[in-house]
Amino acid sequence: MENFPILSLIIFIPLIGSFFALAFWRRLNLCRWTSLCFTLADLAAVFLLFAQDFKWRSGPTGRWWLIEDFPWIERFGIRYSLGLDGISLALILLTAFLGVLCVLVSWKQIETRVGAFHFFLLVMQTGILGVFLSTDLFLFYLFWEVQLFPMFFLIGVWGHENRIYATIKFVLFTMTGSLLMLIALIGLYILHGRETGNYTFSVAQLMQTHLSLPAEILLYAAFLFAFAIKVPILPVHTWLPDAHTEAPTAGSVILAGLLLKTGAYALLRFAFPLFPMAAKLSVPLLLVLGLAGLFYAAWIALAQKDLKRLVAYSSIAHMGLVVIGIAIWNAVTLSGATLQMINHGLTTSALFILVGMLDERIHSREIAVLGGLWSRMPVFSAFFLFFAIASMGVPGLNNFVGEILILIGTFKKEPLVAGIGFAGLLFTVVYILWVVQMVLFGEPRKEHVLWDVTPREAVILVPLAIAVLFIGLCPGPILNLLQDSVGSLLDFLK
Amino acid sequence: MEFHWIDLLPQILLTAGGFLIFCVGAFWKARSSQLLFGMAIVTVLAAGIGTILGSKTLQFAGMLEVGGYGRLFTLLFILITLISILFAHRYGRDRSFAGDEFYGLILFAAVGMSLVAGAVHWLIFFLGFEILSLSLYVLIAIRKGDPLSNEAGLKYFIMGAVSSAFLLFGIAVLYAVTGKMNIAESLAVATENIPMMLLSLSLVLVGIGFKISLVPFHLWTPDVYQGAPAPVTAFLTTGSKVALFAALLRFSSCLANESLSYFVPVIWALAVVTMVVGNISALVQTHLKRLLAYSSIAQMGYLLMALLSVKQNGVPAIMFYLIVYAFMDLGAFGTVAILSEGESDLDALEDYRGIGHSHPWQGALLAFCLFSLAGLPPTGGFIGKFALFQATLQARFITIAIIGILTVIVSIYFYLKVIVFLYMHPIEKSIAIRGMAASDRIGLVLIFLLILGLGLVPSPLFSLIARVLPLSF
Repeated sequence: MENFPILSLIIFIPLIGSFFALAFWRRLNLCRWTSLCFTLADLAAVFLLFAQDFKWRSGPTGRWWLIEDFPWIERFGIRYSLGLDGISLALILLTAFLGVLCVLVSWKQIETRVGAFHFFLLVMQTGILGVFLSTDLFLFYLFWEVQLFPMFFLIGVWGHENRIYATIKFVLFTMTGSLLMLIALIGLYILHGRETGNYTFSVAQLMQTHLSLPAEILLYAAFLFAFAIKVPILPVHTWLPDAHTEAPTAGSVILAGLLLKTGAYALLRFAFPLFPMAAKLSVPLLLVLGLAGLFYAAWIALAQKDLKRLVAYSSIAHMGLVVIGIAIWNAVTLSGATLQMINHGLTTSALFILVGMLDERIHSREIAVLGGLWSRMPVFSAFFLFFAIASMGVPGLNNFVGEILILIGTFKKEPLVAGIGFAGLLFTVVYILWVVQMVLFGEPRKEHVLWDVTPREAVILVPLAIAVLFIGLCPGPILNLLQDSVGSLLDFLK
Repeated sequence: MEFHWIDLLPQILLTAGGFLIFCVGAFWKARSSQLLFGMAIVTVLAAGIGTILGSKTLQFAGMLEVGGYGRLFTLLFILITLISILFAHRYGRDRSFAGDEFYGLILFAAVGMSLVAGAVHWLIFFLGFEILSLSLYVLIAIRKGDPLSNEAGLKYFIMGAVSSAFLLFGIAVLYAVTGKMNIAESLAVATENIPMMLLSLSLVLVGIGFKISLVPFHLWTPDVYQGAPAPVTAFLTTGSKVALFAALLRFSSCLANESLSYFVPVIWALAVVTMVVGNISALVQTHLKRLLAYSSIAQMGYLLMALLSVKQNGVPAIMFYLIVYAFMDLGAFGTVAILSEGESDLDALEDYRGIGHSHPWQGALLAFCLFSLAGLPPTGGFIGKFALFQATLQARFITIAIIGILTVIVSIYFYLKVIVFLYMHPIEKSIAIRGMAASDRIGLVLIFLLILGLGLVPSPLFSLIARVLPLSF
């Protein structure tokens, strides 16, 4: 078991599945079932990881629970190296879980070009898993780009009315960030090579580079820019509402649940540890932008007419809090930020899925045409209420744990920021209660043909609800998982 | 001086095959329509095997380098010729130009390319240059009834004549200054007569600049690319440009450091305008062939940017990118050829609506080549672009690398625009396109495997280049 490349297996199971899905394009149901099997297999493989005892191993690529390391392109010292710790384990678990749900969600919604749809869905899952596991900066960059283009197609081909505009905007924003990061990445590689004579992309070794402060600031700025676009941090968030709104449900789930996480993950895994001095200088900026995001998004959300757009803006607000948690950089906030990434992945995905289900029924996402759903779809409404209050941060449900950790940790260091952040969370309560009232209560509309949650939809929603409850009621196991890894991250930035 | 004829096997085979095709075409009217195609393929394959088997010496009679660099590029040209012939087969038969002149001349052009890339003597270089140009003049205008094709041929001829004149005059001046006709020796001379040296080198640069369409010598490119039949455009944009750039690369690495230092600002400026103008002009194109023409101009700009690092170990990166560039542009124009039905090529972007769905294989390959041209993983274009920017930054040309990456961002937009037409616009009118011939399929698969292979396992090519280079200059 020691030398079995399980991490590679986890990354590439979806890729293999994607080719099968494409090959079966003529038989729609076979496509769906194949994709479901492969995503389930991937989830099983991730669970298999828990069978191992997690002890730290040191290698040339740093300290990890599991290491895979092979030479790839010798000329540039590029290695195929993967590493697993608690943070990446939590995130790949989320990825594999949402991967299964994405296939289920698209079962009825996607009727055209089913093979290609699942192909892109699974390729993207490979890209995201790769981002969470890479410990070689070049490999990371490769996966970072690989996760982008499937999304371009998912939005552009299967999206709603304004999809082409949204998808091009999404790609151009992301590519602008990542290409500048590529230059910075090569720059760091060269500076490290000149200093040590050892040309490598290994993150663990690049961290040892002695950079002059101006150089460090420039390189960090490029990295931060790329990751800020993905997170997204104000003011480079404008692609997000469009992309979310136009994407098919599975696309929104992956965008909100996973792609945004890759930005925050890269910020805490790469940008901060690689450039500690510059990162410290950027903390005030990140705090201000995080807080601004919290308020701004909540404020804009209140003005939305489109339910999906509203959920999209709520993502910006939640991610603002995650950014604050990362910027404060202590044990409590980092655990909170990582946990909050998972929480946001669960609740926001659930909300997007619910909006998608409504869209399948009434072919509209306008808040104005909804109302009184409680009396006509009680089970659906109960789920909606449940995930909405989870997203609001009600104690006993998952978001509360993450938010409270971030706020407590922040309070120790920056009481003012914590205070303002707390006020921002109250804003969240306002728009969520508003939308719950508009959608679930009020006068029922007669003109829509509605039906309650089908068994397939229940299969999607129940596991999500269980996960939300589990993290909310007993966050201990996950926090234990994160604890050591967060501790080792703290060492990078004293 | 000792020399072995066997060293020239690829060139001899290609020339002999070309003549044989001409003879068959002239004297055997009742031949089967497949015969010439088959002969061309056999010739190319034989020449390819000849190249791989290799040569006894590194140089042939102090004229042609057949050892490392030249041999690698000869192999590349043979591959380009092979794939171009595959793409041209059905296309040419449908438009009745797949006669002896087409197959013969394309083989001669391949000889010209290998001479250009391998020449170590200015005369051989010029000879190869002229063989290549003459063959291409005819190939571009090979659709005799088509005014666009004729116009393109004429434009390329006039431009080619001008560039030959520049080149020849430059070589003459260089000979006058240095008294040497060997390329490496003449360029390495540290002469006192700096102005004349610079004049001659500038003239050579302009001559090559026309052929590889650097801005501001690029104005012919979109018209010629659009007018020429698509398989010929594929051959022209890859073979001719790669050959000339390979020669430019040889000249630059042979050039004395002092002379090169005068040219660094010139190359810097040319690279910037080529990248900027190429990419920005491509944004507003409404026809795919013109768009690809501007894209190929911009690609030359990236290569020229990396040429700045020629003395700081940048050569392998440039060679790698030249090879990848050849495959991806070949694929892009090749798909245009496969998709074209009827008299003119499928060119307007509007006509590409929904092609990705109605013709999944062709559409997927075109999209794949465009992704590679845009430099996205997991394609060879990504590794290639990474290598170019790495070489440039390593040589401390930071400003131009940042300008370059900004133009790459611009380029993403127009490559995406084509893909949006391929996959995301609803089909409005259906265009009748025949299924692919077997030759088209083989070409498609070859291109796909080559680009993907170079993207996933670039190491073998890099180590081959590293093995070849010490034998070369």
